[in-house]
Amino acid sequence: MATRNPFPFTAIVGQEELKLSLLLAVIDPAIGGVLVTGHRGTAKSTAVRALAELLPPMDVIEGCPYQCDPVAPAALCPHCQGQRNGKSLRRPVPVIDLPLGATEDRVVGSVDIERALVDGEQAFSPGLLAAANRGFLYIDEVNLLEDHLVDVLLDVAASGINVVEREGLSIRHPARFVLVGSGNPEEGDLRPQLLDRFGLQARIRTIDDVSQRVEIVKRRLAFEHDPVAFAKKFQRTQSALRKKILAAMELHAKVELTDPALILAAKLCDRLDVDGHRGELAVSRAAMALAALESSQTATPAHVRRVAGLALAHRLRKDPLEPASDDERVLRLLAEMPD
Amino acid sequence: MTSESYAYWRRCPTKLMSLAPRRNPAELPLTALVALDEPRLALLLLAVEPRLRGVLWAGPAGSGKSAMLEGYRALRPNTPVFNLPLGADEESLIGGIDLEATLQRGERVLRQGLIAKAHGGALMVDSCHLLADSAVNVLMSALDQGQLQIEREGVSLQLASDFVLLATYDPAEGQPRAHLMDRVGLVVPMPALKATTHRESILRRHLGAHQTDWDDELELLQQLVTTAREYLPQVTLSDAQAKELSTAALALGIEGHRADLFAQHAARASAALALRDSVDSTDLQVALRFVLLPRATRMPATAAPPNAEEHPAQGPTPADTSPNRPDDANDALHDPPASDDQNNGQAELPDADALTLEQAILEAAETQLPAVLERLAFTHSRHSAGGSRGSTEGTRGRHVGSRPGELRDGKIDLLATLRAAARWQRLRQGSRRVKITLDDLRLKNFRSKAGALFIFAVDASGSMALNRMRQAKGAVHALLEQAYVNRDRVALLSFRKQHADILLPPTNSVELLRRAVDQLPTGGGTPIAAALVTALELAEQAKRRGCHQVVLVLLTDGRANIGLRATRQEVDNELHALARHVASRGIQSMVIDTQRNFLSQGAAQKLAQGLAGQYLYLPGAKGEAIAAAIRHGGMMSAAPSTRRAV
Repeated sequence: MATRNPFPFTAIVGQEELKLSLLLAVIDPAIGGVLVTGHRGTAKSTAVRALAELLPPMDVIEGCPYQCDPVAPAALCPHCQGQRNGKSLRRPVPVIDLPLGATEDRVVGSVDIERALVDGEQAFSPGLLAAANRGFLYIDEVNLLEDHLVDVLLDVAASGINVVEREGLSIRHPARFVLVGSGNPEEGDLRPQLLDRFGLQARIRTIDDVSQRVEIVKRRLAFEHDPVAFAKKFQRTQSALRKKILAAMELHAKVELTDPALILAAKLCDRLDVDGHRGELAVSRAAMALAALESSQTATPAHVRRVAGLALAHRLRKDPLEPASDDERVLRLLAEMPD
Repeated sequence: MTSESYAYWRRCPTKLMSLAPRRNPAELPLTALVALDEPRLALLLLAVEPRLRGVLWAGPAGSGKSAMLEGYRALRPNTPVFNLPLGADEESLIGGIDLEATLQRGERVLRQGLIAKAHGGALMVDSCHLLADSAVNVLMSALDQGQLQIEREGVSLQLASDFVLLATYDPAEGQPRAHLMDRVGLVVPMPALKATTHRESILRRHLGAHQTDWDDELELLQQLVTTAREYLPQVTLSDAQAKELSTAALALGIEGHRADLFAQHAARASAALALRDSVDSTDLQVALRFVLLPRATRMPATAAPPNAEEHPAQGPTPADTSPNRPDDANDALHDPPASDDQNNGQAELPDADALTLEQAILEAAETQLPAVLERLAFTHSRHSAGGSRGSTEGTRGRHVGSRPGELRDGKIDLLATLRAAARWQRLRQGSRRVKITLDDLRLKNFRSKAGALFIFAVDASGSMALNRMRQAKGAVHALLEQAYVNRDRVALLSFRKQHADILLPPTNSVELLRRAVDQLPTGGGTPIAAALVTALELAEQAKRRGCHQVVLVLLTDGRANIGLRATRQEVDNELHALARHVASRGIQSMVIDTQRNFLSQGAAQKLAQGLAGQYLYLPGAKGEAIAAAIRHGGMMSAAPSTRRAV
């Protein structure tokens, strides 16, 4: 069955923080993924699902279930084994959905039962982690994900390699992907280890501007009525954004982080008492990606300031007696600090 | 509104067109239900506009909810309608491998799940608050996207899942998950039937007097729905009306944007039902009643977008300017009086403009809101122990893997067994397609998702109450921090004067805890008995959801002076009878006394004894210390232990 037309990314009203963090993660996958938290019904999953359309296509080796890059096939790929044989193929970057009820065998991969039964052959049937290699893995309601799947994800996200040892199979394959999760913290909190894995966290709120709300419904209705015509209306803005992303990805390699920006990032993390160094890295990378997005070759303290909340708020220690939200604590500190 | 459109149905031009439908005479037809005009209207709206996604009926057992479910079947006779049993797990919802057929044919054969079967029709759930979380998750994503992606047990496919959900719940037994409510367009409280005349007419109808009259009426309704569906695409809703609905949603503090969309759908459907081609104010009222009001998290204060500063009742308001601070919907439902005391006073509208429809809506909201909330609300009714038709007792948790084993030791995981056998098939060539030996057997490993529930009951009487609350919050937080792995949940309640209030319903969210009221009123008598009763109710609800370990932590000096029914002198006896009952229900208890109070220790200790629990004296302890003591205590035997600080 064909996937339905996604709602165009540029047709989403408001929620700038969410859109920005997704774009930053596209420009620099090393940022480490995006966690989207917020109220119910605020376009969390719509935005993530809309992202796929904006991604530039990538080259893969034909027939490789792990989408190896023809220029640099992964050495440990069971299919390519580092060889550059095979035709090159242009394909959309995968955005793979990991639905909540998923079982481990479909996530990590397992014996292909049909082939086993019919041909008596023991073949590996790759799972979602394989399909997401070099792309995006999206988990809606990530805070409700089964614990044993969270364990698997943590392992793979850290190493970029999926190790399958089950039913007599022993397979390792590349599984590097940008993790995107969404959820509402009121339904349950995320495991701290997993929370820490996300480079950015976008918090979104219900929009409180009446005309914007009316516009949201209007667009939704128009979309439901005729998705194709609706998509056409946004074709221009979509392709403009696509071009912008492409340009930013090219520029990104050349962007430099200025010393004051670097120092500001480090100071922020120090003052906020963030554990480990993932915080500094995420802020710096996000600032550089933002600079690229705005076609600037240098990432300045101003860039750092704009992404600090996204990259740091979820890394603060929780304090139940602190009335201010994490975002506000970051903002407050930013206001106190000179460039 | 209802009586008006009813009159319209009578005049409905299509009346004479149809043939009488065949119906099982044993069922009470939709039209025979008395006093259910409101719930019935909701059903009609949904039948006209399936994009409303569903109806959720709130009401106690026996208030006609199930008959309403059947009513949908009658209204849309040619669509598939399936019952979703409470015991349903993910597999029965989304299908999976049909193992028997798979084994026989030697190739993968799939079995359809309920969601696939209900495509284009409806799924009905009675008592949806008792559904397993995993099933609710699947329902939610199916409702949301109109399609379902399946990645389990060797199956990977996408299913179309365009259906409406007809669900009921009993507010006395608990709430369905807020996320499910969010995805269903219409929420209707069932009227509680009190008047004798109603009861009488219900009886009469059940005894089956005039079948044929009802058949006529049902036919009429069917015709009405058919005609209204034809009208619907032409119904217009003006920009100003859309704006009014969104303004109302905003003023009521509704979370998210789905409600705005549902409200417009409901208004259009209402107009179509009245065979009008444009939405008018009665339709907006319908949208308000069925879509917006049930989701309200606060009373609308003014017609202008409210400012956060004007709401002192909302606890520690963050400095951000987001006016609809997301007060938890449950909170509002739990405790409607608190918010309406606050806001009824400020009814005057700041704008002296002519009374717009927008203001009319807000006014209507103010008068209707408390009543609606009350009917929806989670009330601690006395009869809540009975009346549960479905129970998740004996839930085995989720199937999370498999292990080798012998047949008698558990439930066979056929797929894993098949996989284990698969690799040997070449060697075991024989006449049958697949040969399985005992070595291949794999059994299912289950893990119950429900961890323990910790109920904190905090004594809010007396001057030290705020201290205790701070300690409790700290302890709850510390417990939650470690709760991820065990999936433990925590509830927080306070007691003073005559009753106990649930400040934080069972949750594992630190986010919600942060918002649980800070400035709670203190002082007054000490109704420990009321706290025990409330804790018992929470414990019973948790048990129905499959959580079997409940720990009750009482932060009090133990000096009860208000009973439930007992006179002043009898308070102690009543309390200890209750305490024994709590102990007999398998609830582990702990009484923590955190005050340096030389007079009170005897009472708290005695209470702990009655509860067959532990007594801890931790003067001035921090939350972390209390949490540590609870965890430590939980691991130790149930023998009463006393720790004394100097």
